[in-house]
Amino acid sequence: MSAPAFEDHLGDDPVDRRPPLILGARDFHTITEVVSAPLERKPSLGWWLCLLASLAMLSLLLVQTAWLFWEGIGIWGVNNPVGWGYAIVNFVFWIGIGHAGTLISAILYLFRQTWRTSINRSAEAMTIFAVMCALIFPGIHVGRVWVAYWMFPLPNQMGMWPNFRSPLLWDVFAVSVYGAVSLLFWYMGLLPDLATARDRARSSLRKRIYGFFALGWRGSARHWQHYETAYLLLAGLATPLVLSVHSIVSMDFAVSQLPGWHTTIFPPYFVAGAIYSGFAMVMTLMILMRSAFGFQRIVTRRHLENMAKIMLLTGSMVGYAYGMEFFISWYSANPFEQFTFLNRALGPYAWAYWTMVTCNVISPQLFWFKRCRTSVPVLFLISITTNIGMWFERFVIVVTSLHRDFLPSSWGYYAPTFWDVAALVGSFGLFFTMFCLFARFVPTVAMAELKAVQPEARPHAPEARVRVEIPLEPVGEAR
Amino acid sequence: MALLRPDLPPGPIYGVLAEYDSPHALYAACVRVREEGYTRWDAFSPFPIHGIDAAMGLRRSKIPWLVFACGMVGAAGAMLLQGWTSAVDYPLVISGKPFFSWPAFVPITFELGVLAAAAAAFFGMLACNQLPTLHHPVFYSRRFERATDDRFFVWIESWDPKFDATRTQAFLASLGAVHVELVGAERCPAERRP
Amino acid sequence: MTEATSIPRVDALALWVRPGSFWSRLPWIGAGVGVMGLALALATGGGDSRFYFAWLVAYLFWLSLVWGALFFVLALFVSRAGWGVVVRRLSEHVMASVPVFALLFVPIWIGRHELFHWAEAEAVAHDPLLQAKTPYLNARFFLLRAVAYFVVWSWLGVWFRAQSARQDRTGDQAITRRLQRVAAPGLVAYALTVTFAGVDWMMSLEPHWYSTIFGVYVFAGAVVGFFAWVVLLVAALQAGGLLEDVVTSEHLHDLGKLLFGFTVFWAYIAFSQYFLIWYGNLPEETFWFLQRLEGSWKTASLWLAIGHFVLPFYFLMSRWVKRTKPLLCLGAAWLLAMHLLDVYWVVMPVHARGRFAPEAVDLGAWLAVGGFFLAAFGAWLRRGALIPVRDPRLPESLALENV
Repeated sequence: MSAPAFEDHLGDDPVDRRPPLILGARDFHTITEVVSAPLERKPSLGWWLCLLASLAMLSLLLVQTAWLFWEGIGIWGVNNPVGWGYAIVNFVFWIGIGHAGTLISAILYLFRQTWRTSINRSAEAMTIFAVMCALIFPGIHVGRVWVAYWMFPLPNQMGMWPNFRSPLLWDVFAVSVYGAVSLLFWYMGLLPDLATARDRARSSLRKRIYGFFALGWRGSARHWQHYETAYLLLAGLATPLVLSVHSIVSMDFAVSQLPGWHTTIFPPYFVAGAIYSGFAMVMTLMILMRSAFGFQRIVTRRHLENMAKIMLLTGSMVGYAYGMEFFISWYSANPFEQFTFLNRALGPYAWAYWTMVTCNVISPQLFWFKRCRTSVPVLFLISITTNIGMWFERFVIVVTSLHRDFLPSSWGYYAPTFWDVAALVGSFGLFFTMFCLFARFVPTVAMAELKAVQPEARPHAPEARVRVEIPLEPVGEAR
Repeated sequence: MALLRPDLPPGPIYGVLAEYDSPHALYAACVRVREEGYTRWDAFSPFPIHGIDAAMGLRRSKIPWLVFACGMVGAAGAMLLQGWTSAVDYPLVISGKPFFSWPAFVPITFELGVLAAAAAAFFGMLACNQLPTLHHPVFYSRRFERATDDRFFVWIESWDPKFDATRTQAFLASLGAVHVELVGAERCPAERRP
Repeated sequence: MTEATSIPRVDALALWVRPGSFWSRLPWIGAGVGVMGLALALATGGGDSRFYFAWLVAYLFWLSLVWGALFFVLALFVSRAGWGVVVRRLSEHVMASVPVFALLFVPIWIGRHELFHWAEAEAVAHDPLLQAKTPYLNARFFLLRAVAYFVVWSWLGVWFRAQSARQDRTGDQAITRRLQRVAAPGLVAYALTVTFAGVDWMMSLEPHWYSTIFGVYVFAGAVVGFFAWVVLLVAALQAGGLLEDVVTSEHLHDLGKLLFGFTVFWAYIAFSQYFLIWYGNLPEETFWFLQRLEGSWKTASLWLAIGHFVLPFYFLMSRWVKRTKPLLCLGAAWLLAMHLLDVYWVVMPVHARGRFAPEAVDLGAWLAVGGFFLAAFGAWLRRGALIPVRDPRLPESLALENV
């Protein structure tokens, strides 16, 4: 990678003005050119290698799934007392990954965090692919896939309905609604950029395909008005939605009576953890993409620093929840609670517990230092350890709570089989395959939104805005 | 197909398209076009421009009401579905909970309310904008391809009561346009993108 | 939309409290109300354990406004937000009033045997659970923790206000940078102290009960109360001709959005707590909610659900309501009352089993704590401008426009 031809200005930390969101030339046409380039040139060798590696992993998932359907879930390591294993761990992990996309597209939008425009498109795409990965596991883990329609609100041959008092059914609704709304939100954001791709297309086939998906978007001011209203409303709806989804996922555990699962902090704790893990994944992907596509001036180190701050915040929230669980188990003086948490830290799965604590709570503390927040290698490393740690968090919650039954005679130790691992690796294959295709065929930065937040996009030049004279001392009657 | 072809005016001329090079110029032009009394016209930009709806005299979008109504109907429908199936159609005792366990129905009620509201926001936006409309007279202009890149356009339709091909062109040019053209049905095939 | 964005004209008189006005006399008015409230509370409930419970409710209600203010100011600095600068000074005054609460804690310490079951040696002797909890729930550690909380809050509250006031004189931008740096670790200290204060002063009233989300619940309620309070405060100051054209409908709109958002957040947290305990149905947890559904407390619980969530949710959803000052004030006043009900609902059932019946002593204690808090707040109000006049982000805040 050659040295970027622009100043980074990272040491400059003004408080009386806002630093530029993107670096180098900022005119609208340059933004279009930089963002459209990866779509319009021939894919690089690196892209082909990534795609092939991802497809290889994806084939592993297909083989695993076929074997699972043929043989049944006995091929996995689950058994009494640990009846939930990798499938639910992976499900919760992937759903969590998705949450950062919605945080960036919806919550940061409501908080007027304009820097989000450089990363929101990729993060939203990541959300959709993560939800796809997540949906695989509830779909296949039931074993009898041919009755998967029992999950839908339809009466079966005996006239019985699904059990609406079961958290697993809430999951079905929460995750499918989340997937659907994320897709609508993403597609709506894409419309203007697909129109750009259409208008830049040289070949008739490209023009037709992008033209079809752009729905005839032409940037009319009358359209923008409805569009912006709808976008704001979708952001307002997606915000409570994203909180609800992982809250409902947490209820799979928390409505039970099992120590380690039944605790009231689970809903917000899961949401914070989800956003945390998702931001780690966005960080990983953005660091790779900005160097692969030469987006360093659009996804600047200041963007990465902001993401690191959010990781520090959400990582600390997760640390708070770990601490609260431990404190309350001690404070409650309930022997079952106390046993569960001591067993987590000191029992047979202590290795998983301490992996989780090291990766999730200790490693992000490096982000207190600006040097670490702005060093790309450190950011990349911590984003990876956080992904690992957050996967282990779900493993710890699921497995350590189950492996010590109330009856000591039923105690056991769960170990995954080859096929468990194959499903996990395979789901990464699906995720990266989708992401490779996305990066090749869809504008990966929200051009229209990025242009709209540049200072040049305001109809009135900055100098036309009057600076206010503030009296610094009371005058006249006062005092 | 009416969906893909908007109502086109009679005659070979569809309207006048004027190109501007900055959001400010477009904003100023919109103020003047409105003051001049044109009614069948529009502005185009690659991104939403703050305050231009007020400059054009557009009223606030009605989508919020649609979204609210759909959200409420979706949520109510979900609560009814769960209550009816669990307490009326096939009551079953499950973990000692009442048949109508409203707290347990809250998650799905919320989800379906959000789904209905989000669908209303998206499809309401499409309906208000009459999209998809894959064809439109402005697409006859080659220069209009930059409307999704870095250029700003004002479009006055030929069936506007005040439309006059010569005078309207001169008027738009006087507002600082970098280029003004008449748009008709024929597109010159030789005029390809450089 | 006119040619340029509207130009805020800042009247010099609108930034300082006028001598001789109501606001400049607030310290004495507050102290007077406080003394009268105290007299009322002592006359109607003195010597009774009810007095201490009434005092605790009032204390937690007013202190929660300080908690909300601390959070708001720290969050503004951490996020480097510009929009809220015009209401930051008022929030700083609220949070800098915290030392007075250390003084007002004295009745709680004196009444600990009446308030806290675990503080009665007799009860502990016959209760193995309480014995197991003595390492945490004992009087000495309880006091030590309270002292620690006040040290943290007072330091954050007074120091942030002092730095901000110094910037009024010097205009030094390094102060903004310094506060930004301190705010992040400040939030960590804040989260821990508020959580444990909630455990100590609210959760341990029922020492057998425990809930891991309780700290978040306390926080959510406090922030709702604070945003309601700050909206009313701005409106009251503007009624006296202050801050006009400085805090505009744009700022009220943003405050209204935050009030709405945190109301929904409170409902989310409250529902999560109720729902998981309801569904798990473990007797050692459900009894806490059962107490609050006994007798007339059931009415209070219903009111809390409807009044603290359903009604304000529909009311504050409208953009028009949030931008119309009288309507927003109506919503804020209602939510402030509901926040009081929330605190009352957490504390009082421990004393008044099955009987939701506010008494004169409750009013007296509420006036007493509120009066002394207002006295401290008023003393800060007189000591400088109502907005941080030389904050580097003030122009951004004054020019705020909601898109």
